[in-house]
Amino acid sequence: MDRTNKTIALIIKLIFWALLIAFFVWAFANNMFSKIWEQPDTFLRLLGEHITIVLLSGAAAVLLAVPLGIFVTRPKFRKSEWLIVGIANLGQTIPSLAVLALAMGFLGIGISAAVVALFVYSLLPILQNTIAGLDSVDDNMKDAAKGMGLTNTQILWKIELPNALTSIIAGVRTALVINIGTAALAYLIGAGGLGVWIFTGIRLFDNAFLMSGAVPVTLLAILIDYLFKWLQFALVPKGLRLARKAQNS
Amino acid sequence: MIHFNDVTKVYNGNVKAIENMNFTVEDGELVIMLGPSGCGKTTLLRMVNQLESITDGDIMLNGKSVRHSNKIEMRRNIGYVIQSNGLFPNMNIEDNAMIVPNLLGWDRKKMRDRFNMLMELVGLNPDEYRKRYPHELSGGQQQRVGVARALAADPPVMLMDEPFGALDPIIRTHLQEEFLQIQKELKKTILFVSHDIDEAVKMADKIALLKGGKMMQYAEPARMLNKPANSFVAEFVGQDRVLKSMSLYTVRDLANALTLKPVIESPDSQNINENLSLRVAISKILNQEADQLIVENDNGTRKGSITLDLIEQFLHREIKESV
Repeated sequence: MDRTNKTIALIIKLIFWALLIAFFVWAFANNMFSKIWEQPDTFLRLLGEHITIVLLSGAAAVLLAVPLGIFVTRPKFRKSEWLIVGIANLGQTIPSLAVLALAMGFLGIGISAAVVALFVYSLLPILQNTIAGLDSVDDNMKDAAKGMGLTNTQILWKIELPNALTSIIAGVRTALVINIGTAALAYLIGAGGLGVWIFTGIRLFDNAFLMSGAVPVTLLAILIDYLFKWLQFALVPKGLRLARKAQNS
Repeated sequence: MIHFNDVTKVYNGNVKAIENMNFTVEDGELVIMLGPSGCGKTTLLRMVNQLESITDGDIMLNGKSVRHSNKIEMRRNIGYVIQSNGLFPNMNIEDNAMIVPNLLGWDRKKMRDRFNMLMELVGLNPDEYRKRYPHELSGGQQQRVGVARALAADPPVMLMDEPFGALDPIIRTHLQEEFLQIQKELKKTILFVSHDIDEAVKMADKIALLKGGKMMQYAEPARMLNKPANSFVAEFVGQDRVLKSMSLYTVRDLANALTLKPVIESPDSQNINENLSLRVAISKILNQEADQLIVENDNGTRKGSITLDLIEQFLHREIKESV
């Protein structure tokens, strides 16, 4: 059973890679990425804007959502969880385009409105994963730590956060990967980014513009995804990584 | 010394979990709190290191009120072992075991020496386990590390909450015996929670039997088995309490108290070592054709023989004495 599953997974993977290579061969053959070579300065500027929007909003969301997640999981403040998660939920429920439009309403056109909109949009996945990660830490473990004389701060830093880290990083990863896609919409409120080429391509029915914008966005998302996989590997304590592996095998 | 002084615990203003508890665990004593689930034994244990608050009364730990001590500092001076060992999966075995010394700011060399010494004490090779992680160890090994961790800063007092409860019977027996050896050497003041009467009889200097937050009897195991204070105690220790009490004595105890019968040569009677417990001796007599067992000392010299009559005589004498 396990073996057939592995074989199927491998076949799917091979088909996926074959399609991907076929696509790139086709795209290059038809000069689909011509804009990148023709206007390298514009490309780099748009890419820079795109990355800036994603990273600024992502960093701000991590800085707010992780401490908030820690705050609501403290027994004393547990009662505030529904309110804070509710508010974060609201940001997520509103369609991304509407969040952008609302942000533009307050901050006018430009990059700051896009950053604020994506920041609001990233809060929920990070907050929820922080809460889930901290909640999943075994109560017996915390009890043992407390009984041995660790202070609450020491329990948080030495026990809770290391054990919740996998989940927290997964939340940041999800938020950022979604944001890279959503940042393409930032063009609509005048914040630039690779969305500029994508929308130009759509309007002009020009595949070269479309591909020169869309493919780098996709690659960026994949790159961030791998980067965070590596980050997870580097930051999560070795013991936890091994334990997870042992559990899965 | 742990002294419980009129300790009372009330939940939600009216549910009494512990009522006017008064008893003392003397220095170097291992006291086991025993009772059905919900009797308050774990609550009482957790009140000592203030994981549970005390509603009324006080607990004196080496003469100091736990209610008025600095909780953090006090807990670092109490070894704490729980059933599901509570080792931290993000730390290797050495970091786990040395967590309290680390908090106390010991230097690296001192911690390493202490780790090596403790691991030898609990029967694990320090170098083999130092860099390993909790999930790589068996339940028994994890619990050994749990004990080593509790002993790390050499606390005078230890609290143990069913430390061997989650282990299979064979490993449990092993660890109980090893722990008794460790305790013989270290002479810690230990408060221990169990629900297993056999574990209590085997390990405890005194047993505190609780029911519904009240003390039913606080006595040495022999006394509790031979002279239960009330019908609840009698029922809890079991109909076979006399047989259980036999595991408290060895054949040597009997030989010292009474004169052994002369050896009658018979191919059916087995030889036994004088260090054997009387409970096992009885079982051996019942399990053979002859009426007697031949007692030998460690050198193999025959000292005489024992029979069921002799054991019965010894039993009556002991019960009379313990009353």
